[in-house]
Amino acid sequence: MKKRLLAVLMGCVMVIGLAGCGGGTSTGTETETSADTETAADAETSGDPIKVALVYSGFLGDKSFNDLAHDGAMRAKEDFGIEVQELESGEAADWEANFVAMADAGYDLVIGVSTQFQDIMEKHCPNYPDTKFALIDGVSDAGDNVVSTLFAQNEGSFLTGAAAAMFTTHTEIEGVNEEKIIGWVGGMDIPVLHDYFVGFEQGAKYIDPDIQILQSFAGNFTDALKGKELATAQINQGADVIANVANITGIGAMEAASELGVYAIGVDTNQDSLYPGHIITSMQKKVDNCTYQIIESVVNGTFEGGTSTYFNLANEGVDVTDFSVIKEALGDQFPQEIVDKVAELREQIINGEIVVDYYEGYGDPANQ
Amino acid sequence: MSDVFNLSLIYATIRSATPILFAALCATITQQADILNIGTEGIMLTSAFVAVLTSFMTGSWLIAILIAVLSGIVMALIMAVANIRYNAHIAAIGIAINMFALAITKFGLKQFLGTSGTFTSPDIAAIPRIHIAAFDNIPVLNEVFNNWCVTEVFGIIMVVVLWFLLFRTVWGLRVRCVGRLPMAAETAGIKVRALKYQVMIISGILGGLAGAHLSLGYSQMFADNITNGRGFLGVAAMNFGGMNPFLVWAGTLLFGFIDSVGSRLQSYGLPSQFVLMLPYVFTITVLAVAMWRKSRKEIKAKSAL
Repeated sequence: MKKRLLAVLMGCVMVIGLAGCGGGTSTGTETETSADTETAADAETSGDPIKVALVYSGFLGDKSFNDLAHDGAMRAKEDFGIEVQELESGEAADWEANFVAMADAGYDLVIGVSTQFQDIMEKHCPNYPDTKFALIDGVSDAGDNVVSTLFAQNEGSFLTGAAAAMFTTHTEIEGVNEEKIIGWVGGMDIPVLHDYFVGFEQGAKYIDPDIQILQSFAGNFTDALKGKELATAQINQGADVIANVANITGIGAMEAASELGVYAIGVDTNQDSLYPGHIITSMQKKVDNCTYQIIESVVNGTFEGGTSTYFNLANEGVDVTDFSVIKEALGDQFPQEIVDKVAELREQIINGEIVVDYYEGYGDPANQ
Repeated sequence: MSDVFNLSLIYATIRSATPILFAALCATITQQADILNIGTEGIMLTSAFVAVLTSFMTGSWLIAILIAVLSGIVMALIMAVANIRYNAHIAAIGIAINMFALAITKFGLKQFLGTSGTFTSPDIAAIPRIHIAAFDNIPVLNEVFNNWCVTEVFGIIMVVVLWFLLFRTVWGLRVRCVGRLPMAAETAGIKVRALKYQVMIISGILGGLAGAHLSLGYSQMFADNITNGRGFLGVAAMNFGGMNPFLVWAGTLLFGFIDSVGSRLQSYGLPSQFVLMLPYVFTITVLAVAMWRKSRKEIKAKSAL
């Protein structure tokens, strides 16, 4: 008897465990059913609120890309009273399942929050002509019910690259060595990250053609310790500024920089205060504004499928932070010339004097 | 190449080997009693979270380690009761523990620390590093031996302690006997079940240390699934070392070495896919070699009869 009871218990544990792993899928179905029962009641009284689903190729809490999309959606929820469902998963196998589940569940708008959803959307979006889709951080020509948004991460990275290249020459700052070496730690080796790197490299070389850039990929966006290991290796090899484009993995990279007394550059969100005094600036990708705008367009009925929007320096879709945190930490030692030069370069990029290279498949879609 | 193979590589190897070492020892002690502890990963993950939580709340790394070890023991005991008392298959309960750990730490992060994904804070008291002032001016010693984390030293001590326990005490002899032939051990009057419980408790302690070191020594943060397969690498190293703590240690050092060299090589333009493949290629090779050695040993043993 006892044995049978335990077997049942164990079964429960396993099922709960599995559900935990699958993450969103189960929550997805839950809301679906509750929404279904509500629909009947709602339809009579006030009409359905617009239902929006965000599908992530990773987890919230990365203090970076995913959290930004979440912020944007939450702002829209407050302003427009929409219903928001979010599905997180770190497993590539779950992304497609989560995405299809949301499309099946009759959401008005399904947003794929990452370039990783590009292929998935091309495969499935045509099957749901009545659902609106949006791809953040990639271009999808899946159909006229899909909008795409693209970011000029190369332009933002150009500025952080330039800042890093200037910073590494200021040997009077504690922790900055003689060698002109800077590091760059990426998550997965995917095209969008190369777009970051192309800009970063060009920016650094624009300041100093002789600068050496160490590049490493962790192979994922979720292993903070791997990021720390890679950054430590680069610091041991003489790098004193480490730029990260790696979500959770990148937090490890920044921890390594702060622990070993060198400097780092944040990405996507304003990460300057994460390790105050050790993060020079962050390349901001305004994913929150972008998510908000997409939802707004659906609410207002201005959603126009088949189009893509380009967020760059000119329309403040990407930017760098104002260096205020590091300025406060370093005091007089902080070289003001970096801020001035970055502002100057920013203007030059906006008015077209400097053309930033981009990786194949990126850049302003209007020019292609 | 001098930027890849230099003195700091020695410490880098130790640094990346230590988390795997604790995990490997955690698997070694149970394997000696014929319990394949694939729950190592889960024990580690839970205690890594508990360590960060306690350290953040109390500001003491010592209390944090103690509580982390306790949580490790609890997780190990769940496995022990299910396996020893109720005959659940050890692989099944191991997988269950790993999944449970993933979920419970995610939940705890949200519930107790009010965040998700990652948790970092200057209030997390880290495990201190040993700084020997006398080494400061001696380049080689300073580079290699200074600023080791307390748990990194402790890990090496544990290798010796575990070896002594297993191969130089009556208790160790009994454990190994239980592992080889439980029926014979029982006939000889050894309390097999009690011994298995003891082994699991020690495994929980080591797993707890592994977790605490990961989140308070190796880094000062907690992230979802921060272990990322390091527990399984530990199990692989245990296989490589054939359950002998010293050989197991050698195995983890090899893993650490490959990982560190890989990290350094990437900066030199080697394709990341190739470098990131290395630890896995190495794991498969190591396991193949271990299996081959085991089968040869068995053939030899049989031919002696």
